[in-house]
Amino acid sequence: MSKRSIGLLAVAGIVVAAALWFTVAVPGQGSSSGVARTEDGKPNLNGIWQSFTTANWNVEAHSAEAGPRPEIMGAYGAQPGGMSIIVDGDGTIPYKPEALAERDTNFKSRMIPKITNDPSRFDSGDPELQCFRPGVPRANYMPFPFQIFQDQNQILVVYEYKWSMRQIHIDPQMEAPVDSWMGWSNGKWEGDTLVVDVRGFNGYSWFDRAGNYATDMLHVVERWTPQGPNHMTYEATIEDPNVFTRPWKISFPVYRRLEPNVQLVEFNCVPFVEQLLYDPLGLYFPPGTRPDEDR
Amino acid sequence: MRIPIVRRVLVLALVAVAAASMAVLMAQAPPNTTKPVAPTLTDTDAAIKAAAELAKREAAMKNFTPARTPWGDPDLRGVYLTATYTPLQRPPELANKPLYTEEEAVAAFKRAVEADAEVDPRTVHYDWKEYSMDAWQGGARPNLRTSLIVDPPDGRLPPVTPEAQQRREAAQAAAKKRNPAAGILTFGNTYTRCVLGLGAIPLMRGGNPGAESAAAAAGVTAEVQIFQSPGYVTLVMQSNNDVRIIPLDGRPHVSDRIRHWFGDSRGRWDGNTLVVETTNFNDRRPAVNFQGATDALKVVERFTSIAPNTMRYEYTMTDPKTWTRPWSVDAEMPRVEPNLIYEFACHEQNYGLINVVTGTQIREREALAAGRPTGGGGGRGGE
Repeated sequence: MSKRSIGLLAVAGIVVAAALWFTVAVPGQGSSSGVARTEDGKPNLNGIWQSFTTANWNVEAHSAEAGPRPEIMGAYGAQPGGMSIIVDGDGTIPYKPEALAERDTNFKSRMIPKITNDPSRFDSGDPELQCFRPGVPRANYMPFPFQIFQDQNQILVVYEYKWSMRQIHIDPQMEAPVDSWMGWSNGKWEGDTLVVDVRGFNGYSWFDRAGNYATDMLHVVERWTPQGPNHMTYEATIEDPNVFTRPWKISFPVYRRLEPNVQLVEFNCVPFVEQLLYDPLGLYFPPGTRPDEDR
Repeated sequence: MRIPIVRRVLVLALVAVAAASMAVLMAQAPPNTTKPVAPTLTDTDAAIKAAAELAKREAAMKNFTPARTPWGDPDLRGVYLTATYTPLQRPPELANKPLYTEEEAVAAFKRAVEADAEVDPRTVHYDWKEYSMDAWQGGARPNLRTSLIVDPPDGRLPPVTPEAQQRREAAQAAAKKRNPAAGILTFGNTYTRCVLGLGAIPLMRGGNPGAESAAAAAGVTAEVQIFQSPGYVTLVMQSNNDVRIIPLDGRPHVSDRIRHWFGDSRGRWDGNTLVVETTNFNDRRPAVNFQGATDALKVVERFTSIAPNTMRYEYTMTDPKTWTRPWSVDAEMPRVEPNLIYEFACHEQNYGLINVVTGTQIREREALAAGRPTGGGGGRGGE
């Protein structure tokens, strides 16, 4: 073996060793072990994630129940029971008394969308039923995956449900220019935690199918903290002086979807709700074409 | 008479649909500032001059190499304008003229800008430029090309296949049979129904004359953000907040059984050019896919940053069930500011669709009672 090839082998050995060292050591650096890092040393949150709670039915503790329209939906539509995701106080939302009554009214009318051309339409029926944007924090515990795309100055989150998205502005940050369903998100890193301040809500979104809600004074502070390569802790502090007596806090884990071929599959639900929303107005079937009409 | 009425009604629908985005666009100016309005937003001559100068300056950049992202991909990040005044197909009077001279290009641009800025209250119910939503206010530039289509070389769509011809005839016959016709599905299209925005794929579809959508030609919410992260390019549209996720890791397309409104995209780098192949489209019936394509459509797009403020955007459309040969577009997208996309909650407040379809049903009943033709299908399928 020539000196040159021995030299090459030595260099190759060093390269391999270095590569091994990097693959082993780099993810382990920092406080929490096994957290992947981006080029600027921040936790790398890129990937497809999902939470597994029943909070989309009710963020508070709830028993299993028959769902809406049990006469046709049977077990398909039934509500699974589950624990509260509220981690302070007694696990219930600290509503003002009149707001609690409003929540109960919401629940009773959750399946009754009132579609007119007047703005009060948003006050009736669960926005999810009507394929409206879910808002924050609800988007994070709907039974759908979501994908995080992380750049240094902006983070994009695309939720499979309704294909709705939000941008988290790290630099530059801005005040909400206008109210919206998903709110306006400004983010910053506190150590390994991504802290997102969300304001500028339009006040129409609900927390769940149980009618829990807030107004346009809603302010959510989210904390996304990686706990290893494949899961994060999600925590959100929720305040709204219009309806709550004090801020309250939710928390649950968010897991990485590990299937090698996992990808979001479009859930554009607009066509799925057009009959529900527009048929009562006589606009879904052109006159004379209703399937149940005499021909 | 039918077409103008339909168009007027459609414009009304678009107005309603765009109401949210209007407010949003107006809110783009940071609060509590008294920044003077740029002359390019109010004065067409100023806009034409600035656009012509910028086009010339950008075209003079030779051998431009884009920067790299921190993870080493060519940096395409930014928001780009997808509106143009260049028609998709070459107008017949320019049959043998694929390229304008520089002077002719500016003159053609000027004609289009002035036509866009001028509002005829008899035919237009809504003046986009009041809200800075005309394409000349958004950063559109003169183009040396007389059509976006560069292949076939005559700048026109290729002939359709006999199968596509039969499809069209069957659709027309079905539309005549429906009488009265107006319902959400038969009158609305995927855009007015808020199913899809103005065109997430392909991104650029040409301006007047002959644009598939008046709103697209006008430049309404015609912005796309190219968002990059390791392993992905993601396109976020202002219109309807459509999102296209493009993995770059070489994975195969999803199963043929999975069909997406935006198709299933796979990207790769060819030097500094992002090449995106998209298949697995939905069949959008009763609305039609872009230019009458079927779910057998394959789109190949090429994104190349050719100057600091210019993205070259090429695409090739192949659908053996629709066209006798593939066809290709070569266009440019100007970079615009700021680098973010606002919420476009279209379906959440789609009063326009309710009002327009209700109004059309009333007109149809009136026509029926008076023994007049009701206008058949009404709804135009395009986005």
